[in-house]
Amino acid sequence: MSPDEHRELLIEEAAGAHRPLRQGQVGSAPAWHDLDEAGRQQAHERATELREMEAALDPEGLSSTARAVLQRILSAT
Amino acid sequence: MDLDVHYSGIVAGDTVAFARWMAGAEPQLRRSLSSFASVVDTEAVVQEALLRVWQVVARFEPDGRPNGLLRLAVRIARNLAISEVRRSKTRGADMDELERRLDEQEVQGSAPDPHLRRLIALCRDKLPNKPAAALSARLHGQGQAPDATLAERLGMTKNTFLQNFTRARRLLKDCLRAQGVDLEREWV
Repeated sequence: MSPDEHRELLIEEAAGAHRPLRQGQVGSAPAWHDLDEAGRQQAHERATELREMEAALDPEGLSSTARAVLQRILSAT
Repeated sequence: MDLDVHYSGIVAGDTVAFARWMAGAEPQLRRSLSSFASVVDTEAVVQEALLRVWQVVARFEPDGRPNGLLRLAVRIARNLAISEVRRSKTRGADMDELERRLDEQEVQGSAPDPHLRRLIALCRDKLPNKPAAALSARLHGQGQAPDATLAERLGMTKNTFLQNFTRARRLLKDCLRAQGVDLEREWV
């Protein structure tokens, strides 16, 4: 895999909604830390597109981000 | 759209009302962090800010202007992002410039576009099997599992999973573009 292909996969991974909990707070993604500043900006822009796409495909209009937050709230109650 | 229509339900502890509020608030909340994107993981900040809105909403007092809760979320997110930049002592981050850009932003809730929803669903149904499976895994995963776990469930390596997901995303965009929808212009 070329460095460009590797970077592209890191951007795709960082644009996902899964984030670990660290010390009771939502933490940053390991893939995000492996990106340079331009790659992080691209991950943000891609996430913006993806969340809108996900919301459009969800019966209740929720993105993966909103689903992740909702799950955390429901599991805490 | 004034998302505060959901306020009384949220204060009463109704997670359905909060979900509806999030559906309208998230796009603007995320866009409000664009100027931080190269120095802060905005996805983590968006999620933490939404969680904190839920935690503090009972103490929130509306000021009578529209989208009070969304403005609260933007303030929380901004403070989280600034704290993160200071904590990590990120080089090159011009805090004055970042804050100036944040102050310029207007706060507005959004509502789903039914036409776009229908088009995206049509395009999703045309995806080849493996990209469709990767997209579906992310959607059903609801941000709960890392990509390595989603990949394993599909019998793929993480890299193969991400390549299939990339393909699904590009095919969806191409399909939408063929229908006259440019996602980059619509959303970013």
